[in-house]
This record gives sequence, C-alpha cells and structure tokens, in this order.
Amino acid sequence: MRIEHLNELRDKNLITSEQYNRLEPIVMGKIVSVFFELRTLLYLGILLFTTGVGILIYENIGDIGHLLSIIALSVLTVGCGVYAVNKAAPYTPAKAKSPTPYFDYIVLLGCLLFISVLGYLQFQYSLFDDGMGATTLVTAVIFFVAAYRFDHLGVLSLAITALASFWGISVSPQKWYSGDFFETANLHNVAIVFAAALSAAAVVLDKFNVKKHFTFTYLNFCCLIFLVAALTGVFIDYSGYGWYLLILYIGCGLAVWAAHWKKSFLFLLYAFVAGYIGTTYFLTDVILDDPFVWFFYLIASCGGFIFFIIRFKNYFKREA
Amino acid sequence: MKSAYHQTWLHNLQITKTAKHWLKHDLIGEQEFSAIKSAYVSGLYHPNFLIRILLFIAATIALGGVTGMLALFVGDSGQAVLSVLCLLYGVGSFVFLDRVFIGNLRHYKSGVNEAILYHAIGFTIGGMLGLSDFNEHLGIIVCLVVFSAAAYRYIDLVSTVCALASLAYLIFFELYQVGGIFQQIIPLVFIILFTPLYFFIRKLKESLTTDPWSPCLILLESLCLLLIYAAGNYLVVRELSVSLMDLYLEEGQDIPFAYLFYGLTVIIPVAYLYFGIKNRNVVLLRVSLLVIAFSVFTFKYYYSLGHHEITFTIGGSILVLLSLYLFRFLKSPKAGFTAENILSSKWSNLQAEAFIISQTLGGNKAQADVPSQGGGGSFSGGGSTDAF
Repeated sequence: MRIEHLNELRDKNLITSEQYNRLEPIVMGKIVSVFFELRTLLYLGILLFTTGVGILIYENIGDIGHLLSIIALSVLTVGCGVYAVNKAAPYTPAKAKSPTPYFDYIVLLGCLLFISVLGYLQFQYSLFDDGMGATTLVTAVIFFVAAYRFDHLGVLSLAITALASFWGISVSPQKWYSGDFFETANLHNVAIVFAAALSAAAVVLDKFNVKKHFTFTYLNFCCLIFLVAALTGVFIDYSGYGWYLLILYIGCGLAVWAAHWKKSFLFLLYAFVAGYIGTTYFLTDVILDDPFVWFFYLIASCGGFIFFIIRFKNYFKREA
Repeated sequence: MKSAYHQTWLHNLQITKTAKHWLKHDLIGEQEFSAIKSAYVSGLYHPNFLIRILLFIAATIALGGVTGMLALFVGDSGQAVLSVLCLLYGVGSFVFLDRVFIGNLRHYKSGVNEAILYHAIGFTIGGMLGLSDFNEHLGIIVCLVVFSAAAYRYIDLVSTVCALASLAYLIFFELYQVGGIFQQIIPLVFIILFTPLYFFIRKLKESLTTDPWSPCLILLESLCLLLIYAAGNYLVVRELSVSLMDLYLEEGQDIPFAYLFYGLTVIIPVAYLYFGIKNRNVVLLRVSLLVIAFSVFTFKYYYSLGHHEITFTIGGSILVLLSLYLFRFLKSPKAGFTAENILSSKWSNLQAEAFIISQTLGGNKAQADVPSQGGGGSFSGGGSTDAF
C-alpha cells in the first residue's frame, strides 16, 4: 500500500477521514511497530536462558555455587509467578486480554524455570518415587493450570506435549523424521486412544464455553497425533492394516468436520494428506504394480483433486 | 513494466488484502472493508494460504506423474535428444502455465502456479545444461536468466532468491576461475557491487510502477544486505579461504587483511542497526538483528572459552532484559517507534507461535537427563520467511 493508494481510498470516500488520519502515519512509515521484533528477541532470550540454565544445573551438580544457583532460580521463578498473579486479569472462561505486551513471555519463563527447578529436585532428591513418569505428569498439570489461569496458548501446547510424553508419545516432527515417534511397540494404539480422548475432552470444554480459543490448539495436536498414529498402524501392521485404514478414514472425516467447525483449512490439509497417503498405500498393495498405471494414478488422483478444489472454489474461499 | 497477471486485478487484490489486514486490527470497520472490496474487484484466483499448500502438493505429485509417464516413452534416447526434449517440455510448461492457468483460469500464486513454474524452470535449465554438456559458465548464466525472467514475469519470491544467488555465484565463480589476486579480492568485489545494487533496489521500490513487485524487491533488499555483510564477515571469509583457496594457516597465523575483516564484522551490523533506527527502516532493522547474532557467533567461534552454557545463560538474560526494557521504553511512541501491536506482520500468528514454543522450549525436557538442544539452530525460530 502506497500513500497514493491511501489517498485514493479517501478521495473515493471509502474510508473516513478519521481512519485516514490513523492509517496515514502507518502507511508512510512515520510510525513503526517493533512489537514483533521485540517478541522475537524475548522469545530467543528465553530460549537461550532456559537452555543455558538447564545445562548449568546438570553439569555442576555437587559444586558449591550450585545451591546458590538453585536458590537464585527459585527466587526468579517466584518473581515471575508473583508478577503473573499480580498483573493477570481475574480468571475468565472467555479470552483474556494480556495486560502488557510481554506478559505471556513472563508466564512462559516462570513455567519453564519452575520445571527446571522441579526437574533438578527430582534428579537430586527423587521427589517422586517412580522415576521420571510422575515428573512429566506433574509438569503437564502445572502447565495446564498456568495455561488456563493466565490464558496462554504457548503454555497450553507445552502442557499437551508434556501430557503426551507422559504416555510415551513424542509430539515433534523432528523426532518423527528420525523415526522416534513411538518409543515402544504398539504405542500407536495408545496414541490413537490418547488423541481421541483429548479431542473429545476439548470438544466438551468448548461446548461448556470454557476457553473456546484453546480448542484449535487441542484439535491441532490431536489431529496430528491421531493421523500419524493411524498411518503408522497402516504401515507397520501388515496383517491388520485394513482396520487401521478404517480408523484413518474416520480420523480424516473428523478432521474435515473440525475444519468446518473451526473454519480452518489446516485440518482439511491434514485430512487430505493423511487420507491420500493411506489410500495410495492401499491401492499399491492391491492393484498398482505397473509403473504406467502408477503414473496414471498420480495424474488422475491429484489432477482430479485440483480440479475439485478449483471447481468448488467458492466453497473453499471461506474465511480461514 | 508488465507481469503475467492482469494488472488492475492484481492491484485490486493487493488493496483488498491490505484492507483485510486493517480490518483485523480495527483500523477500519466492517462497513468500510466491504465497500473497499466491492470497489476493488479482482477476478484473480488467489486462495487461502493452506489451500495453496494443498494445491502445490497435489500439483507437484500430478506433474511427477506426467513426467514419469513421458519418461517411460522416451527414457532410452540419447543425451542430446533427451536434452532437447527436456528443454521443449520446460518451455512447453511455461506456455501451459501462462496460457492455461494464468491466462484462462486467472490463477495468481495459487500453489498450482508455483508447482508448474518450478517444474518449468527445472526442465528448461536442465535441458540447457544437457545441451551445453554441463558447462559451468553457461549453466550459471542460464540459471540467472531463467530465474530472473521467472521472478519478473510471475512475481515469484523463490525465483527471486535463486536469481540473486545465481548472480552472486556467477561473480564468485568467475573471479575464482581467474585465480591469483582475483581470488583475494572477491569479498571486496562483493561489497563494491552489491552496495550500489542495494541502493538501486531501494530507488526502484520508490517508483509507483514497481508496486506489484514490492515483495520481491524487499526480499532482494534484505538479501543484498546479507550478502554485503557475509562478504565482510571474518568467519565466512576465513572458512571459505581455507576450504576453497587452499589457504593453509599455521597455529597463530591469520588470513590476509584479518583486521579489515574483524572491523567489518563489527562495523556492518552496527551501521545497519544505526541506520535502521535512524531512518525507521524495518528491513535494515531486522537484518541487523540477524547479523548481530552472527557476529557474536563469529567471535565466539574463534575466541570461545568453551562454556557455551554460560554464554547461553548470560546472552539469554541480556536479551530478555533488553527486550523487556524496550517494551517499557517504547510504551508510548519514541522517535516513531512503538511497542504496541498496531499492525502486525502478516506472518505473526498466535497459533504458529504456540506451536514453535512447544517444539523448541521445555516440553519433553523433564524426561531427558541433560537437555542437549544446542543454541546453534535456535535462530530459525524468529525467521524472516513468510512461511506462516
């Protein structure tokens, strides 16, 4: 947008002069928002700081300065907590507006530091008897509480990943790439049940109007876990893959429904990609063995799909 | 100046997109938005970002099928015939894109467009390379020409990056081939050539006729800045000299003009930051943040005391404190800068931010005994792409 175009809008009376006066300095670059840059800096700072502190704690266990650093961390954690509690608006089931532009990063820092301290205490004094499992669960619970109390999407996604990792499921594309999605056998079944249960819980919460804007985050993680788990089932369980294919299609159907419901094309993307991979696997197993037929299948399926999207473009044009 | 797209429609699309952005930030009302939308009608097919990804994937697979099928017919002809066929197929794809998808179906960056475009570029360049028997000089020049043409005609960002990369590589390669003193002055030549280019692009950006290309020009602007910096960066110069120019450094020895490069490593980021703040230039500002981080890394790389965790902790706390201070300081606008979110960048997205946080911070930390996430790759989080 150039100033000439903005003037044109005003001259055509498409915007009021009051709006023009607000827009003019932005378009002219007289006022520049560094909100995004500062948030990025803050994010990187927290990333570096918590990483550094994490390594420091574990590397220097037993040193003299060690106890001091733990105390310092605890003080810092409490500081973040006090700040968050003091500044936060009272709990509301609706979307809360954050009191300052950096409020949510303070909450995030507090949560992460708390987990560092907790992890250290567990490591040193074995707070919870049955090893790391309980720590992960406690982590998840704390994250969930903080996410709901302080209305924080980032902490919510940390909570979901922690809860998933309590069941042994790692929600990380990097790990899926290296084939570590499920650390033990048959975990894909756990993952399917987990994703189904969590998304059901999310839908129920949404129906009760509790933090409706969290539903997307829940469904996003659940879709990813469910579809990847079902696909894993299709690929590794040769004798019973028909069942997994069925589960996959149900998952895709639900994702399409979620796309309608939440007006988001992201779920549609997941559903189509997962469904296509599953179907192609099935067809490869049954009929596709000649390369010519294979190529024809690729052209026909994807060409048809493109045609379908463009043909019904008004349907897909809806706001995401 | 003409792109492949309908000029007025393209302009109208840009206006409506900006207006939608304003609407999201309450700068205009629903009423004004619909008025603008009906005044600036565009017949271009430009779907939602996610639909574009979906279409891109589908089109890539379908094109793979077409290519595979054709390859089955002509697979066993010789190199010359294959090259000609590739070239024809590539040019044919360009025509198909231009006539069918842009001409008839009015697609504008629809995902299908990109898929066909990259496909066409790939086969055209591949065919030319095959015909010239993989001559490197010609290859780079062909890349430069094809990418520039594609960037110009289809306003495509990926082609823009590739075009500039080909240009930079061409300069590097030719000087490197000449050898001798010319190898030594490569960094200098880069700085001398890309600095005027940078100012030329900024000049171009001011003109009203280049408005449709402004995304490409902004990208070029930042890439030029990065190239100028990289040419003067000590780490880049030293490592490239060692690995490509057989420079052998004894313990305690240093590259020629080492102090010049040390100086540039410090001065360029500071200059970027200074002029970015002084002229309220967001491109300069963002690039400066990126290169400051890289300069710190450069010095840490050669003069490290080996305690990365301490660097992380201290660096992290400095960043946190600095940004918190700036947030407070810029609460009310100062010198035209504000920390308020008046008009967010188009790729800032809360859901995406949450996902990045869950992938990079904490999460599974409680399970691992020593968190081994390095800080090296962490800068990708802030990224300056428009991936989201």
